[in-house]
Amino acid sequence: MKKKLSIRNNGMVWILPAFLFLAVMIYYSILFTFNLSTMEWDGLSPVRERVGLANYAKMFKDLVFWKAIRNTVVYFAITFVVQNLLGFVFAAILHSDVKLPTVHKCIIFIPTILAPATMAPVFRLMFSPQGMLQKFFDTVHIPITVDWLSKPQTALYVLMAIVVWEFTGMSFILYYAAMSQIDKEMLEAAQIDGAGNIRTLVSMVFPGCKGTTVSLAMLGVIGALKTFDIPYLITTGGPDHATEFLGTYIYRQGIRQSHLGYAAALSVMLLIMAVIGAYFTNKANKGE
Amino acid sequence: MKRRISAVLALLIALSLVLAACATGSTGGEAAAPADSSAAASGSADLVWWGWTPGSPLNEQYIAEFNKAFPDTKITWKQTTVDDYDAAIKPALANGEGVDIFEVSAGSANGGVGIFGGQAVSMDEALKNYLGDDYADKLNEASLKSMTVNGELKALGVGTVYAGNLWINQDLFDKYNVKVPTNFDEWKQACDTFKENGIIGFVQGAGQGAFNMDTYHAICDNIQPGLFTKATRGEAKWTDPVFVQALDLWKKLFDEGIMQDGALGIQQYPEANNMFLSGQAAMVMMGSWYTMNCLPDTMRANMEAASSTDEPFAMVPINFPDIAGTGNVGYVFCDIDYATAVSQNASDIQAATDFALWLGASEEGQQMIADSLNLVPVLKSVSPNWDKVVLTNPEKQNKPVQEYLTNAMANPDNPRFGGISADLNQAMMDVLAGVASGTLSSADGAARLAEVE
Repeated sequence: MKKKLSIRNNGMVWILPAFLFLAVMIYYSILFTFNLSTMEWDGLSPVRERVGLANYAKMFKDLVFWKAIRNTVVYFAITFVVQNLLGFVFAAILHSDVKLPTVHKCIIFIPTILAPATMAPVFRLMFSPQGMLQKFFDTVHIPITVDWLSKPQTALYVLMAIVVWEFTGMSFILYYAAMSQIDKEMLEAAQIDGAGNIRTLVSMVFPGCKGTTVSLAMLGVIGALKTFDIPYLITTGGPDHATEFLGTYIYRQGIRQSHLGYAAALSVMLLIMAVIGAYFTNKANKGE
Repeated sequence: MKRRISAVLALLIALSLVLAACATGSTGGEAAAPADSSAAASGSADLVWWGWTPGSPLNEQYIAEFNKAFPDTKITWKQTTVDDYDAAIKPALANGEGVDIFEVSAGSANGGVGIFGGQAVSMDEALKNYLGDDYADKLNEASLKSMTVNGELKALGVGTVYAGNLWINQDLFDKYNVKVPTNFDEWKQACDTFKENGIIGFVQGAGQGAFNMDTYHAICDNIQPGLFTKATRGEAKWTDPVFVQALDLWKKLFDEGIMQDGALGIQQYPEANNMFLSGQAAMVMMGSWYTMNCLPDTMRANMEAASSTDEPFAMVPINFPDIAGTGNVGYVFCDIDYATAVSQNASDIQAATDFALWLGASEEGQQMIADSLNLVPVLKSVSPNWDKVVLTNPEKQNKPVQEYLTNAMANPDNPRFGGISADLNQAMMDVLAGVASGTLSSADGAARLAEVE
């Protein structure tokens, strides 16, 4: 006898509370934001002017928007590669016979748990021409002026260095866990067949961590798109928007300049980019 | 089964759309119903006062003084940082609860009355009843003009701030026998001399755009006084050669080493402020709010906040140097630093209005503001009680500080941010950063300002 399906016995009823919560809190907010993006509104005025898609048209002509997109792409590409390369190497080293492995793991991971808000003033001081790094260079008589945060050409790279310092621990811990799952006999077989350490890492271990790399890529895309705290707290998006990201620009437009409709249009674009990023990383995970 | 699931999904989507529609129901020019403004004064009131300045414990001291006259009104001070104020107050006001009194400022500064004044009750009648029909003659003009939105006075100014001058560490100038700069060459020479002695000559946190605008405004006034203000009012073009020349001079400050290395990478607060107060820098671009540091206790507290354990030093205000060589010096620009607004949704509008009037229009409240040297009082009959106010080094400071405040109050109508829209504010900050960093030419910068008009 064919079993009769119902909402109750296929589990729908159990996910309904979470689904309702999501529908109200997330999807409603998305719809609200999209609706807002078709208006000109300062966030407080009782009058909201409907402007259709004018905010989107303005966005595509806005040079700062394109600068934020460029910064996001460069930021993702560089931090993703450097951070994961370092994380992978550290994980491989810690899987070998090193002394005091727990101490090393702590040292690598501690930056990940430090709040950016507490670290931002430290980095502002460190990268100031009157700061610690400058004093170090002066002490060892290296003629370098640490004014990188004040230059549009270099400020973004300083922020990327800070992010790499902060989140390499996350890549490390995930790669470390992934490497623990690789069959040791397979690695031994490869070495018996004549593969050296580097060859084993590149041809055996790295492909074995593909799922982790894809997960990190997805986290990296999301992280790059929602980047806010570090640029806002260290450079406030400057100088001359050189470290502007979509997050900081949305805040600037929505809060500072009270263009809530335009900020909502930027938010919708951010959502679209996140969905596209998730689609491609998911595709990569399936090996397509 | 499929049909049943589809029905559930359809119901949820419909619910979302209904909620979205409800939330945006006032679009298309329809105004929301005005809040009830008929709340009468009660025997006792419990109010919350939101703001960013001057900060604890001064605000609590103001409240304590107010309570001597109004003991039944309890006021709780809720402070945010200056940068977070807009983000915090906007949803709080929109929510309509928990904000009884809130600080606003002029023009495009944080807490701009143009944005937030719509949530405040009109103060015209209350002020007229309190000070009489000639109330406008008794108060600083800017306190009324800059707080009037669509013909209604939306907040009562507490005190004015003046900017466009420099503050110098006179003790350092004396120690290294440096001439106080009056023109570009002397300014550069002073910076070079201090640099040779391991001290930063002039410090500016050029990563914080508002202070760059002060410097640019001062340069413009040095070239042609008043033109900057005219441009903000649409009476002059930003492409005028004066503004291009001012941008050139602004760039020259960076190129010639008057601005310290890496100026664009640091903020005025806390970095530049800390460098000056800790004696690492000899000059800084700050306005009249800095006068409070002439009081030894205030300066000691602020020096400790800047990680300095030194004794307070003699800081004095000087004119912005005549870098354009025109002879036009001594011009400052002024805004209401902050004003007190009463929320339309205040739990007790009368009690909240009493507080705003006491702080901004009473002799007692204004005298307290004057003596703190944090702001220049808006009530014209009140000035600092110099017999009671003792500066760190009276011999070096008394004369220049008193002259500075007298000169500032006598300056003609020249708003600081009061006439600058949020969009022009952002554009100007972008242009100044772009020109300083060399990514934008002065002519292109001026053209970009003109685009905002």
